[in-house]
Amino acid sequence: MKILIKNATIVDDNSTWHLQVVDVLLENGKIKKIDKKLSKTGTTIDGTNCYLSIGWYDMRALFGEPGLEYKETLDTGLEAAKAGGFTGISLFPNTEPVLQTKNDIAFVKNQTSRALTEVHPIAAVTKDCKGEDFSEMNDLKKAGAVAFSDGYKTIEHEDILMRTLMYLQKFDGILIHKPENKRLNMFGQMHEGPVSTSLGMKGLPAMAETITVLRDLELLKYAGGNLHLTAMSSADSIDLIRKAKKAGLGVTCDVSSYQTSFVDQDLTGFETNLKVSPPFREKKDKKAIIKGLKDGTIDVLTSGHVPHDEESKNLEFDLADAGIIGLQTVASNVVELMQDVGIEKLIAALTSNPRNILKLDIPTIEVGSEVNLTLLDPLEKWELNAGTNKSASKNSPYWNKTIQGKVKFVARKQQYYID
Amino acid sequence: MQELSQKHLLGIKDLTADDIHLIFETADSFKEVINRPIKKVPSLRDITIANVFFENSTRTKLSFELAEKRLSADIINFSSSNSSVKKGETLLDTVNNILAMKVDMVVMRHASPGAPHFLSKHIDANIVNAGDGTHEHPTQALLDTFSIREKLGDVQGKKVLIVGDILHSRVALSNIFALQKLGAEVKVCGPKTLLPKYIETLGVQVELDLKKALNWCDVANVLRIQLERQQIKYFPSLREYSLFYGVNKALLDGLDKEIVVMHPGPINRGVELNSDVADSDHAIILDQVENGVAIRMAVLYLLAGKGAG
Repeated sequence: MKILIKNATIVDDNSTWHLQVVDVLLENGKIKKIDKKLSKTGTTIDGTNCYLSIGWYDMRALFGEPGLEYKETLDTGLEAAKAGGFTGISLFPNTEPVLQTKNDIAFVKNQTSRALTEVHPIAAVTKDCKGEDFSEMNDLKKAGAVAFSDGYKTIEHEDILMRTLMYLQKFDGILIHKPENKRLNMFGQMHEGPVSTSLGMKGLPAMAETITVLRDLELLKYAGGNLHLTAMSSADSIDLIRKAKKAGLGVTCDVSSYQTSFVDQDLTGFETNLKVSPPFREKKDKKAIIKGLKDGTIDVLTSGHVPHDEESKNLEFDLADAGIIGLQTVASNVVELMQDVGIEKLIAALTSNPRNILKLDIPTIEVGSEVNLTLLDPLEKWELNAGTNKSASKNSPYWNKTIQGKVKFVARKQQYYID
Repeated sequence: MQELSQKHLLGIKDLTADDIHLIFETADSFKEVINRPIKKVPSLRDITIANVFFENSTRTKLSFELAEKRLSADIINFSSSNSSVKKGETLLDTVNNILAMKVDMVVMRHASPGAPHFLSKHIDANIVNAGDGTHEHPTQALLDTFSIREKLGDVQGKKVLIVGDILHSRVALSNIFALQKLGAEVKVCGPKTLLPKYIETLGVQVELDLKKALNWCDVANVLRIQLERQQIKYFPSLREYSLFYGVNKALLDGLDKEIVVMHPGPINRGVELNSDVADSDHAIILDQVENGVAIRMAVLYLLAGKGAG
């Protein structure tokens, strides 16, 4: 099987072809040739104005299998991941049951072994993600857990977080933690500020995130180890992480790509598809996220994919569940950010940075290397709707809206997907 | 005939000052009607209104029912103290079941902020928000401002103080919007823990000392302490609250001027308001109740004029 990608701009700073416009020939799962002009052969894909990078990696997605298959199965989730341009993905453990035993990890790996998108399960730190008793982290690592996290559940007790950071050091493991102070956020529905005040809604103060980031950084300073703070949303948190990195702490962080696309003012119509955790905050927070991506404080862009069935979303705002399906719309967020952040930084945040943090091999775009590629068309306009959506859920603020930016081609080894 | 700019009354936020003046003028005529020997007019004959209350209510429900009856509307009532979801039926299903019986308007009270907005996206009937959680209670704010206008001649330029639990109060929020649209100055007073942190971004002033605040105002609207809507401890005790934020006669006697005292009811006598004030000439609490019927008649009448669809 031969595939020829014509006229694409390579974005891969490990490649000798970085930022050059070239033709790339793929054959039998390998990159066969790269050159300024290759003669037509096999299936040809026009890459004019498109960016060809190593395959995108999503460091934070949540599917519903096992237990919540009506929200997302592994199959439907992986279809969405493929169409969104991801050749690798790490899955949060918040399923039912939680991913916390060797069998759970093996189940996910076996079910997904044939997919184009390579799946790396993240195992729970504590049993049922309750923040109390540890899971058998060493054994889970051996079974294939790529990292450890209680996912969307914050570890409330300082001692548990501290000991996790210590315990994981035996195998240089990484703790992924979502910082949130539950007490300060109690009954909160959206970002606390002028908008929540005028809507009479109980707020989620940015400080509830920041105060936990501060706590986590102090614990990291004491315990050592690797801490990845996930789903950042507040300007002050990003400042704290910037300073901690300067001071040499082993901390990294990510944001959901849609976090750069909305602010709290978009919620005045009580739109439940904009209910997300952490919530959309103010313009200053959005600016801080963009700055953080630009200066490298924020290492990783994630899809923040959280699927919900219609019954969890089509109801009163305070009763609706928080979450957005993000896998297929990361491309359009990337396009929105291109001018402010630059394509190279964005691609790194979607490819090499998450793999570095998770200590995974990083593919390259060189002749002879194994195929692991994503081709982004930044100009294509399309609509996310029942015809184009691959997820089992449709809880997206982009639903039935025209957006710009789409993944045109994605391939790993012998498998490929052409849009 | 003049018309409202809105098809629903979801909140004061959506109304223009002209809308509010139109509602007032219409309420003036209805107030005259309900003081006649024959209090009923045929304006809403053939209109069916469903009063759908997912939260306990006595006076608002009575007031709406009476307004509907005075207008000759047909009425059906649905009450459930639980949110409908707990029974396994969604809000949308409940309301659609009622609408299938050919109902033209829905008056709804619900514990979730934005519940009537959600409904308005899915159904054709006119919706009147009779209170949505801690968000808005538009007819209460209309009757409050109507009562100020009646007592003081105009709302424009008046200084209005809202005292008490602003954080959990839909009455406060709707009153703030209505008073500002009508050109009044608004100040809020209460323990800092019961004032939303960002309340000043709405253009209102904050005063923590009740006596200072009362000395500033022309009208004090004293809110009920909403113990049932407080999920966390906000102040040490009702005793301490009434000592520092309770309005009593001694306090009013010590002011430099006479002020008007309002309360949306039901009063916790001896907590936020003492009987020596509630039953005095300062208070216009029972006028508020009477005006409530006229205001609700006006709102229903004007919305019916807009039609559904």
